[in-house]
Order: sequence, then structure tokens, then C-alpha cells
Amino acid sequence: AEDVETDDEVNEEEEYEGWKARELARIKRDRAERTALAKEKEELEKLRSMTEEERAEYERRNPKEQTQKTKKKWK
Amino acid sequence: MANRTDPRARNIHGTNPQNLVEKIVRSKIYSNTYWREHCFGLTAETLVDKAMELDHFGGTFGGNRKATPFLCLTLKMLQIQPEKEIVVEFIKNEDYKYVRILGAFYLRLVGKPTDVYQYLEPLYNDYRKLRQKTAEGKYILSHVDEFIDELLTRDSHCDITLPRLPKRYTLESAGTLDPRISALEDHFEEEDDEEEGEDANGAAPMEVD
Repeated sequence: AEDVETDDEVNEEEEYEGWKARELARIKRDRAERTALAKEKEELEKLRSMTEEERAEYERRNPKEQTQKTKKKWK
Repeated sequence: MANRTDPRARNIHGTNPQNLVEKIVRSKIYSNTYWREHCFGLTAETLVDKAMELDHFGGTFGGNRKATPFLCLTLKMLQIQPEKEIVVEFIKNEDYKYVRILGAFYLRLVGKPTDVYQYLEPLYNDYRKLRQKTAEGKYILSHVDEFIDELLTRDSHCDITLPRLPKRYTLESAGTLDPRISALEDHFEEEDDEEEGEDANGAAPMEVD
């Protein structure tokens, strides 16, 4: 078990910098998640408040991705 | 029976707490020498002494998936179900990092989501080094804050499937949890501003013909 040094007294400065990088990455990740969620919500609100015509227009411009592939004939 | 759950233990997530550890891993622990020699008859008090002796954490390793002492002690805690105050003491203690992460791991398994966030997140500020045993039986370097992050974001750890934890913002919007303020929040704002400033400066000459 001695091949990995876990003494917290050595290299304290370096360890602190390492932690700082990790913590900042975590904040960043958290914020990105939140903005993505907020965006999605906003989009949904927008769609819901549209009138029938606006909705049709929107769907024409942003067609849904085709999830079901067209079936092939068996030979 | 040394492998029986304390009859006074409450059900966790609707089942015997020991069932949180999958059957195969559990049987590996029951046949482990550390489990047989050191975990027999442990109580909440004597378990602390064992936890203080830990020098690494991990799940199972090697070809026959041998369990680490850390995993054995986790199962022991599920068996004897120490009171919440004791688990919180584990987490709050500053002197023994492995006692701390053992408590954190246990709370993640049995605790309410709000408790999990409230007690585990302060440990994001603990960057002490930990020794982790990988599945191949090698040791690698980890840190307390990384361990906590894994507990809060992953769905399994140390060969145990972690109970589902709602996202933080779900709990926040339900009003059961206050937003977390990181120790580096101010620092982050500054860096963000700097980046934006640089972007603006970088973009400005481009627009000029």
C-alpha cells in the first residue's frame, strides 16, 4: 500500500491548486446543467404559448427527427 | 449468526439494509478473512477503532473479487445500523479521513436525499489524499472531494449500487434544499468575468476592417 503517497503534509500548495481546479470544474458542470435545463423549460413555455398557426409554422421550420427508420423489404 | 442483520434494524428503502449490497458481493464479504476475524461482534463504538485503522478504500478486487476492509465495514454498518448521530460524527470528524468517507458512503446508502446533500457537500472542501484500490488490485491516488463527487453523481461506487438520488435542482425547486454556495464561488465569478473580458478584447479587433 506504500506505493501511493497519501501524506497530506507534503506538497500542500500543489494539492490545494489541484483541488481548486477540480472544484471550479464542478461549479462549471453544475452551471452548464442548470442553463441547459432552463433553456429547455423556456423552449417548452414558448411552444405552449403559441397559437395553432405559429405552432404549425414552428414545426415546419424545426422538423422532428425521424426516429423510426423506414422498413426494408425482406428478399 | 454473525452475518445476520440486527433484529432491531429498520428497513432501508423497503428492504433489509444488507440487501443494498448485491448478493454476490455480500457472499464475497461473508467469506472474507478480514470480515471473519475483525468484524465479528463489532458495535458502533468498536467499529470506529477498525475504521481508524483503514489506509485505503475500494470495492472488490482481483480474479476472485476479494472485498476490501472498507467494504466489509460498510456491510457491518448496514448490519448493525448505528444511529444517525453516530454516522454524522463519523462524517464531521476531521482527524481520520477514512472514518469520514466510510460515514459518507454509509449515509449515501441509507440517508434521505436532503441529508445526503447537506452532510456530504461540505466535504467538497476536504482535499486530503486517499488511497483507492482498483478492481485490478492496484492502488491509485484519489481525494476526499473526488470521492464525495463520485457519491453524488455516479450510480454505483465500490461495487455497490447507490440508491437513486434526485438532482440537486429538483430538490431546490421543491424548496427542500437551499442552493449550495461553493467555497470558490467568488473566485469563479472573477474568472468568468476575466474570460468574458478577454473574449470581448479578442473579438473587438476582428470587427474592425
